[in-house]
Amino acid sequence: MDILASLDFSFFLLAALGTLVGIIFGAIPGMTATMAVAVCLPLTYALGLEHGLALLLGLYVGGISGGMVPAVLLNIPGTPSSITTTFDGYPMAQKGEGERALKVCIVASLVGGLISAAVLFLFAPMLADFSIKFSYVEKFLIILLALTVIASLSSNMLVGVFSGVIGIWLSLIGTYSLSDGGNGKTRLMFDFLEPYLVDGFALLPVLIGIFGISTILLEAEKGVKGGLSGQSLKVGKEGHFSLGMFKGRLTNLVRSSFIGTFVGMLPGVGGSAASVLAYTQEKNLAKDSSQMGKGAPQGLIASESANNALTGGALIPLLSLGIPGDSTTAVLIGAFTLQGIQVGPLFIPENSATWYVMMVALVFANFVMFFLMFFAIKHIAKVVLVPKYILYPIIVMMCVVGAYAINYGIMFDVWTLLIFGVVGYLVQKIGLEVAPLIIGFILGGSAEVYFVKSLESFGTYSIFFTKSPIAMVLWGLIAASVIFAIVMEYKKRAQHRLEAAQ
Amino acid sequence: MESAQSSLFNVSIDFGTSHLFFPHIIHWILAILFAFILVLKVLPFLAAVRRGERTLPIIGEPMHVGLFIGTLVLIAAYFYLMGVVGELFPYTGLGFLFTSIVFVFLMSLMFMGRKSRRKVITALVNAIVAPTLAWFILGKLFYITLP
Repeated sequence: MDILASLDFSFFLLAALGTLVGIIFGAIPGMTATMAVAVCLPLTYALGLEHGLALLLGLYVGGISGGMVPAVLLNIPGTPSSITTTFDGYPMAQKGEGERALKVCIVASLVGGLISAAVLFLFAPMLADFSIKFSYVEKFLIILLALTVIASLSSNMLVGVFSGVIGIWLSLIGTYSLSDGGNGKTRLMFDFLEPYLVDGFALLPVLIGIFGISTILLEAEKGVKGGLSGQSLKVGKEGHFSLGMFKGRLTNLVRSSFIGTFVGMLPGVGGSAASVLAYTQEKNLAKDSSQMGKGAPQGLIASESANNALTGGALIPLLSLGIPGDSTTAVLIGAFTLQGIQVGPLFIPENSATWYVMMVALVFANFVMFFLMFFAIKHIAKVVLVPKYILYPIIVMMCVVGAYAINYGIMFDVWTLLIFGVVGYLVQKIGLEVAPLIIGFILGGSAEVYFVKSLESFGTYSIFFTKSPIAMVLWGLIAASVIFAIVMEYKKRAQHRLEAAQ
Repeated sequence: MESAQSSLFNVSIDFGTSHLFFPHIIHWILAILFAFILVLKVLPFLAAVRRGERTLPIIGEPMHVGLFIGTLVLIAAYFYLMGVVGELFPYTGLGFLFTSIVFVFLMSLMFMGRKSRRKVITALVNAIVAPTLAWFILGKLFYITLP
């Protein structure tokens, strides 16, 4: 009965509040769901796990959804996952059909979110149940697979792998912990840093720095822009929205939702990949795709159902394997750690109450998102105009609170924020990839323990190939993702050559 | 043959230096990947820069140096002074509150662009209200440790 005990009024209030704040974050170009979760983390310190998760899941769902607002009205994707929403949304808004376009997006988002929640509910316990039998060898291979998949889906595989390995390297700084069976010695640092880095860099300040501070630095570098005037924002009432618009589009809706869920499951692959894939699939498979890109609702349906389906999908590997599916779920890992809970195969069986409560929060957040946006879209649209000079300082301030409070007041964590703010800025400027780096950083420590312990018990590298049939299957998947990346790269080059020749 | 092959893969890890075993492998992987990137990416890129087709990141790109450096310095000063002022009022979170008010106001001014009386007043009100709210809700209601 702990489930019902957690589901009090404040639980639903927090989920709703999270969704609203998430929508606002998502709607402001440059701010993402990840940032919303990172900035609001300090609020969860004082809440219990369930209530904290309600807030964070609300932020996640809201943040992904909010991106549609500026995408449709201003042709600027509010979050990267709304890129494909601009293709058809903005042309519709120019025709004066802004409200109609947004409502199509909202319905599609709800369906995408709910389908992915259902998949999560059915699939995560199964996957957890399966992976519970994994020994260190398989666990290491799963991490290796996760990193290969991320790298192979990066824009350049070599750079993706390199970024991921840098992330692992960063995670190794500190002590080889006795509690993990290590020898308790420190490595990868200068002696004078030992008092600060005994436990390595704390996860949350690193994440908040990379997603919060570096975004501010990137914006600062661009300089102050004129800002959006009130006039450029017209919602437009032309054309009436009805559910009839979805007639004949159900296949698209369901297909895109499943594509979104599946892409969400792949570690480190963000929402933009989900919506782009769903959009191109609709373009290839639809009977009539001639209007796509000129203001066709079917493009909106594909894009928005896919990016909202990401939420449930990304939670699957997080809750069953402990591997985050995207950067937002990476920050969620921090929230679990904060409450002293290890996510992994044992999470669902050992915390079944929390698991059900999370599902309730996720589904509830989707409905709140729907009602808030469907009936108050005109008011929400105005947040796009909140001036940056008000927002940015507040974001930096909230980042500080988050970093400082995480270990109950360590000033070094605040400096970590700045260090990784600058690191995140440099990484993005020189063309490395943030997502693999973060996933590498999160999984690096476990990768070491699984790898070294496997070798200590078996004494041979060949154990990684011969331990079990599952190990061999995992190697097959690793090989497949590498081959996939090479084939894609080859195709891309061929295309370039073709274009150059023409 | 079989034994020769298995001995090739055999490994024993000395417990005393086991903390360096994995990092050592990672260093090698990083070095190899870096060599590949150097040859396949960096050198062609630098050649393109020399031909004038591409520009170096950060150095060669147009950027708002003043605002960027200013933001960086302001954030660093904010972090540093927060600790200093916090020492004066231990366990109250007042260091956070006072430095945040100043920081939020200064950063607002930096990002404002063209200034007007109304905008400056909005920024000032925001600089007082937002940190105070954060300090009160987080520090006083939720008992979160603040500097």
